[in-house]
Amino acid sequence: MQSANMLLRKILRSSGLPFAAQHGMKKDLLPLSRTLSLSLCLKQDKACEPSEKLDLDEWKKVMKSGLQEEVSEMVSEPKELSSLAAARETLEMWRLAGRAVPENISEEQLKTFMECPSKSAKKKYVKYLHLKELHKKNDKRKMDEKRERRLEAQDQASKTDETKKSSLICMWSSTMDKAYNWRAAQSMIFGQPLVFDMSYENEMSVREVTNTVRQIVMSESCNRKSVDPFHIHFCNFKDDSLYHREFIKSYREAWDKLLITVTDRCYTEIFPKDKLIYLTADSPKVMKTFDHDKIYIVGSMVDRSIKTGVSLARAKRLGLETAALPLEKYLLWNTGAKNLTLDQMMQILLTLKDTADWKKALEFVPKRKYCGFVNRPVKELKKTLDLVNTLKLGKGREVEGKRFVKNYPNKYKLKQK
Amino acid sequence: MALLSQTSQQGFQALLWKCHMFWPVSRCQQLFAASFSIPNREKINYFSFMTSSSTALPVDPKESDVLPTKKRSEIDCKERKGWDEETKEIPEGKFRFSSSVGAAKKWSMSHGLSRHKFSNVQPPEKPLQAEEWNKLREDFRLPEIFEEVMLNSMIRCNSPIDVAKSLLTHVAKRNGDIAYNVLVKYLTLCVQQGQVSEIRDVYDIMKARFRILESGAYNLLIKGLSNSDQWRMALTLLEEVKKIMIPSRTCYESCIKAASRHQEMKLAFELYNEMLAKDVVPTLHVLQSFFDYSRGMKSAELQKELFGILLYLRENQIYPHKTFMRSIKLWFESIPGGNWRGHLTDIKDSGQCPVCKHQLEDSNLTEEEYSNLSERIIRDVIHGTDTFRKTSPKEFEAFQAFVENRLPFDIVIDGLNVSHIKSRRMQCENLFDAVNCLAKENARLLVLGRKHMLMNSSNWKREIMKEMQNKADFFFAENISEDDAFLLYATLRSGKHCRFVTRDFLRDHKACLSDSLTRHLFRKWQRGHQIVFSSAEGRSINFLPALHYDCVVQTTGDTWHIPYKDVYEEKYSYQVPKKWLCIQQKL
Repeated sequence: MQSANMLLRKILRSSGLPFAAQHGMKKDLLPLSRTLSLSLCLKQDKACEPSEKLDLDEWKKVMKSGLQEEVSEMVSEPKELSSLAAARETLEMWRLAGRAVPENISEEQLKTFMECPSKSAKKKYVKYLHLKELHKKNDKRKMDEKRERRLEAQDQASKTDETKKSSLICMWSSTMDKAYNWRAAQSMIFGQPLVFDMSYENEMSVREVTNTVRQIVMSESCNRKSVDPFHIHFCNFKDDSLYHREFIKSYREAWDKLLITVTDRCYTEIFPKDKLIYLTADSPKVMKTFDHDKIYIVGSMVDRSIKTGVSLARAKRLGLETAALPLEKYLLWNTGAKNLTLDQMMQILLTLKDTADWKKALEFVPKRKYCGFVNRPVKELKKTLDLVNTLKLGKGREVEGKRFVKNYPNKYKLKQK
Repeated sequence: MALLSQTSQQGFQALLWKCHMFWPVSRCQQLFAASFSIPNREKINYFSFMTSSSTALPVDPKESDVLPTKKRSEIDCKERKGWDEETKEIPEGKFRFSSSVGAAKKWSMSHGLSRHKFSNVQPPEKPLQAEEWNKLREDFRLPEIFEEVMLNSMIRCNSPIDVAKSLLTHVAKRNGDIAYNVLVKYLTLCVQQGQVSEIRDVYDIMKARFRILESGAYNLLIKGLSNSDQWRMALTLLEEVKKIMIPSRTCYESCIKAASRHQEMKLAFELYNEMLAKDVVPTLHVLQSFFDYSRGMKSAELQKELFGILLYLRENQIYPHKTFMRSIKLWFESIPGGNWRGHLTDIKDSGQCPVCKHQLEDSNLTEEEYSNLSERIIRDVIHGTDTFRKTSPKEFEAFQAFVENRLPFDIVIDGLNVSHIKSRRMQCENLFDAVNCLAKENARLLVLGRKHMLMNSSNWKREIMKEMQNKADFFFAENISEDDAFLLYATLRSGKHCRFVTRDFLRDHKACLSDSLTRHLFRKWQRGHQIVFSSAEGRSINFLPALHYDCVVQTTGDTWHIPYKDVYEEKYSYQVPKKWLCIQQKL
C-alpha cells in the first residue's frame, strides 16, 4: 500500500493537472465545507444535510481523481496475463485483503502455489510461506539488535581500554569439534550401532521429508556431543533420493566427512536378525530395559497425518522384534500422540545408554504431553491425575476421567455414578 | 492457536452464540465475520448438526417456514472461513512483542490482534469531521489498524452508511488513497444494508484501481447486486470471476437465487448445471430455492430438471431438511393438473409405507455391486498400502481358505466387540450369551477373535470357549491384526443373506475406501446387514435387526418417497432419518 501511495503522490505532484490542486493531499488546501461541531450530542440541522452529502462522497472523488492517471498507464499494458503473472496478481490481492501472504515470493514458490490441488491447500501453503517470512524477519531483527549491542559493548570496552589476559587461546569451538570427532570416530569402531531406517520416502510429502532430515541432523549432533556416542547407520539410503538432496542442503560439504555409516543395504543384511529391535509406538511389546548388545532401529519418518502401523508393518514383514517406549508406564499421559520426534528419541536412547534411568531419559518427552512422572500403580494415579488437573488447570473432573479411561482402558474402569 | 484454556473457550463460544442470535440478518459471509479463534475441535462440537458433506442447512429451532438465513450464513462462514480467520492469528509466544520494541506496528499480522482486543470499540452514531476522526485515531492504541477496527465494529453494529462514508473521506483526505481491505469492509457494510448504488460505486472504483479483485470482494459484490433489481449485473460479474478462478458456491448461489426469483428458471438451471460440471457442491439452499420459485409452474422441462435434483439427492445420499422437505411437498402439490398429494409418515421396519402401502426399495445390492464392494474391501481396507499393516499375507490366505471351506455363513460376529457388552461380566460369558441368542434359528455362525482369547485367563475361560466352538466356527487372528477387515470380508463372501454383528460404526474402514461412490455403497450395505445390540446392563441381550429397506430418495414414477431429517436429531453418516415424505399421484 505504501508504494501505491508513493506512486499516487508522485503522480499528483508531477502531473501538474488542475485537479491535483483541487483535491490535493494537503488538508489545509481543502476548505472545510462544514462548520466544526466537536460535540457529538449536538443535533445537526436538516439544513446541513446537502452540504454534508457533498462531504460524504468526497472519498470517491479522491479515489477517482487518482485513477484517471493510473488508467492511462494501465491501458498501455497488455490485457492478457500469463498464468504466473495472474497468480502473482491474485496473491497481491489477497495480501491487500489482509490475508496471510508473504511479501516476496519466488518463481519456484509461485509454481508450487499454482500446483496446489485445492483452494485450502493454496491458502495453507501461502500461510506457511508467510510465517516463514515472519520468522526470518524477526530473526534478522534480533541479529541486528545483537550486533548493535555488541558494537556498543566494544566501544565501551575500547574506551576503558583493558587488555584481557588468559592462558588459553580462544579456540573453543574448533577444539571441541576435534574432541567430538575423536569420540565419534571411536564410536565408529567400538560403538553400539543405531540404525535409521530410510525407507519411508514414498510415504511422505516433500515437507515431511524436509522435517525428517532436520530432525535427523539434530539427532546426529546430539549423538556427536554425547559422552558415549552411538555408531549411526543410515540403512536403505538411496543415492540421489530426496533424503540425499535434503541432507546435502543442510550439511553441504560436511556430508562426506560425517562420521556415520551410510548404506543402501538393508539392516537385515548387515546385522544378525535376532539382534535387531525395531522401535515403533505401535508395538505391542514395551521396552523394559535398554539392552547394550541389541541394535535398535528407528524409522525415520515424520507423519503429520498419523499413519498408524506403517513401521510396525515393516518390522512384521521382516520378522523383527519390536518395542515401544514405556511411556504409559512411567508418565501420566495427558495429550498428544505417543510417537516422538527423532531427536527426542535419540536423546532418550542416549540417556538410557548412559544412565539406565527411565526418569531421566523420559524428560525429553515434551512436557505438554504428560502431567507427571510416576512409579506407582495405576489406581493411585487416578487420584493424582485428578488432583494435578484440578490444581493446575482447573478442569472438570469428569473430562479428565474420560481422558484417563481412554489412555488406560483395560487397567482402570471408571465407576458408574 | 489453542492456548486458551478450556474455560475461556467456553466463554468464547457462549459469546459467539449470542452473536449468532443477535447479528443482523443479511450478514456477509466474508472473511470479516467477527471471530474468536476457536480451534477446529471446538467448531466440530459447535456445528455438530452439519453433515459431513456440509451441504446441510442448520437447525431451525422455531420450525418456521422461513429459512434461517441469518444463522446459516454465519455458520457457513465459520465453517468455511475458519482457516482464513486463523491465518490471521499470530502464533502465540512466537511474536509476542515486547513493549520496548514497537514492532507491532510493522506487522501486517495485527489483524488478529484487532479482533481480540478491540472488539469493544463503539462506532459513532453520526458522521464525524476529519478532526474528530483524527482525534479518535490518535487515542487508539494501534493507529495503523484504526480504520479496520472501526469498520469492523460498524459492520457488527450495522451503523448508518454515512458514518462509514465520513470515515472513508477522512482516510482519503489523509492518505489520498484508501486501502483495498478498507474498501472491502465498506463494501461489506453496503451489502449488509442493501445500498445498491454504493455497491456499484465501490465496484467502479475497485475496477479502475485494481486489475483483478479477490474472491472475497467478488462474493460480496455478487451477493449485493443479486439481491437488487440490478441482478443481471451480478451475472456479468460472475462471468468476470470465471476468467480468473472457479467461482465459489456462494457466488453461484446468489446468482441462481436471483435468476429464479425473477422466474428465469432456464437461466438458473444453466448456472446450476455449470456449477455441477465444475465440481462445486451446491448448498441445499440453492436446491430449495428451485422448488420454492417453481411453485405453480407447468412445464415439462422444468419438472424434469426438478426431478433431476431429487435424483441428485438420491445419488449423493443427501437427506433434505424439514423446511426443504416442505418446499418439495408444496411444489409437488402446486403442479397444475398433477394431482400430487404429500403426506408425512414414519416407515416401520417392514419397509412398507403406511400411507400408500408401497414397499420401499430393498437394501440389497446387485450382484455387480457386491463383487465390486468385496473387491474394494480387499484392495483398500485389507491390503491398503501394505498388507502387513492390518494383517499379513500368510494370515489372510489362511483366513480365505478357512472361509471358503465353510461357506456360507448366516451371521458373522465380531467376538471381541460383543464380549464387551456388559462390563460387569466375564467377557467370555458375554460372548457365550450372544452366540446362544443368535444360534437359536439354526444359523451358521462365524465368530472372529484374536489368539489371546485362547489363553486361559480370568476373562476367557477355556471350558466356555470349548463349548462355544461346538455352536459356531471360530477364527482367531494374530493379536496385532485387525479383525474388522476379516469380518467385512467374510460377510460379503457369504452373500446377500449374511449379516454381521458389531457395535462398531466401521467409520475408519469406510474412510479407507478411496472413492465416494464405493463409500456410499458401503454405507448402504452396512445399513442393510449390520445387526447392532442394545447393551442393556443386567437384561438379556437384544439384537436390533438390520434395515430391510434402503433409506434414500426413491420413486416409482407415480410415487416419491423422500426421507428427511428432523430438526432435533443429530445425524451421523451411519444414522438414517426415520421420517419420510410420501408423495403419490392420484390419477
